[in-house]
Parts: sequence; structure tokens; C-alpha cells
Amino acid sequence: MMDALQASLRIAGSGLAAQSARLRVISENMANAQSTGATPGADPYRRKTITFESELDKVSGMDVVAVKDVGTDPSAFQTEQDPGNPAADANGIVKLPNVNLITEMADMREANRSYEAGLQVFKQSRDLVSMTIDLLKSSS
Amino acid sequence: MDPIHLFDLAARQARWLSTSQAVIASNVSNANTPGYKTQTVQPFAEVLDRTQMQLASTNAAHLALDPAEEQKAVAKDDSPWETTESGNSVSIEQEMIKASDVNRAFSLNASLVKAFHGMLMASVRS
Repeated sequence: MMDALQASLRIAGSGLAAQSARLRVISENMANAQSTGATPGADPYRRKTITFESELDKVSGMDVVAVKDVGTDPSAFQTEQDPGNPAADANGIVKLPNVNLITEMADMREANRSYEAGLQVFKQSRDLVSMTIDLLKSSS
Repeated sequence: MDPIHLFDLAARQARWLSTSQAVIASNVSNANTPGYKTQTVQPFAEVLDRTQMQLASTNAAHLALDPAEEQKAVAKDDSPWETTESGNSVSIEQEMIKASDVNRAFSLNASLVKAFHGMLMASVRS
């Protein structure tokens, strides 16, 4: 059983790590928004998704958050008529990734907000620890 | 004269506030976890009522009560502000309000301990 304030620093840290992993996946998707396949008719980049789960931290006895799985989005690819593209099939149709930039932006804002909240909790827990330590400073 | 239990009371409240802070941290970290339900801590008065009675140990074989009694006070929040489609009931705004309450109470607690300690020291020195 560890100190509750130390535990809250640890839990807030797990939240920050999870949100950074999410931002990594989002930036991967955005960077590959135009990545087509290499050969004619090949599948382009498929959008990645990330899911979280809460798990019991054995050391602190509280719920921390962890990345459960990085999966792929099974939705259909966008198609475009572009016979000049190296990835175009026999009919001149190119498959583009199923990445929607608006969705990614919205997801990014949410990750950003959650990260900020986690950081706020982390800072505050640290403040509480320093308030306690300040008790030891001589008040004479 | 009755003994003054102020330091003991302050330590208990500080422990309770630390547990609240850990619960808030857990809620905020799980703000995007599907199916996670907001947790809350029982009010301090209830925890105090429950833990005040200590069993006297007159024999070495007597088991002491669990000192981490506050940990058991964590329960599911019955009235969350909102529940999203994914079954998550954490509201970051609500957690921020709770966090600022904890911060205020902890700051008051630390100041009181400091003031009381100052008084004790003043009486010792004179």
C-alpha cells in the first residue's frame, strides 16, 4: 500500500501516457491521409484506432488506464477516378485511405483536453505534497 | 483537562484528502475509457464515524484494524453529471471542481497544523 498522493501522481502519469499514445496514432493517421498502395489496385493505408481500458494497479490499489489495443478501422476506402496514378487499377480507379481529417482533428482536440486535465491533476498532487513538506520548514 | 486530538484529526483529514485526490486522478485518467464509472469517496464525517472506534489490543495476538481504512471508502458515484454513449460517466469539469475543493481543504489543513504547532512551540519556549 503506497501513499495516496504518490499513487495519484502515478495514476495521472498513466493517463498522460495513454493520451500521448492516442496522439501518436492520430498523427500517424493524419500523416498517411494520402498514402495509396504501391502497386496497381493495391489497398491504401488503413486508418488505425486506439482503445483504452482501466486496470487495477497492484501497487497503489487504484484504477490506472492502459492502452488496450491499437486496431484498424474496417470502414470502406474512398475511391477516386485518376488513371494517371501508379496505384490506379485497370478501370483507372484509385483507392484512397479511409482517413477523415475532420474526425482526426476532433479526436485530437479531445486527446488534448484530456491530456490537459491529467496534467492539471498531476500539478495539483505535486502541490499537495509540497504543502505537506512546507510544514517542516521552521515557522520561527 | 481533555487531551486535544487536533493533530490526529488533521492527519486523518489529510489522509482522506489524499485518497480523494487519488480517486480524482483515477477518474480523470479514465475519462476516455469505455464503460468506466466515476468513483467517489464517502464524506469525511462518515469515514470518521466509522474509524473512530479503535479496538484496544491487550494481547500481542490481537489483530490491529487495517490502518488503510480510508481505502475502503471508495465507491461508485451514484449521480454522475452525464454518461456518454460508450458507458463512461466521467465529467472532467466535475472532477476539476472536486480537485479544487481538495486543494482548498488541504491548504487549510496544512495551515491549521502549522498554526497549532506554532502555538505549542510558543508555550514550550516561554
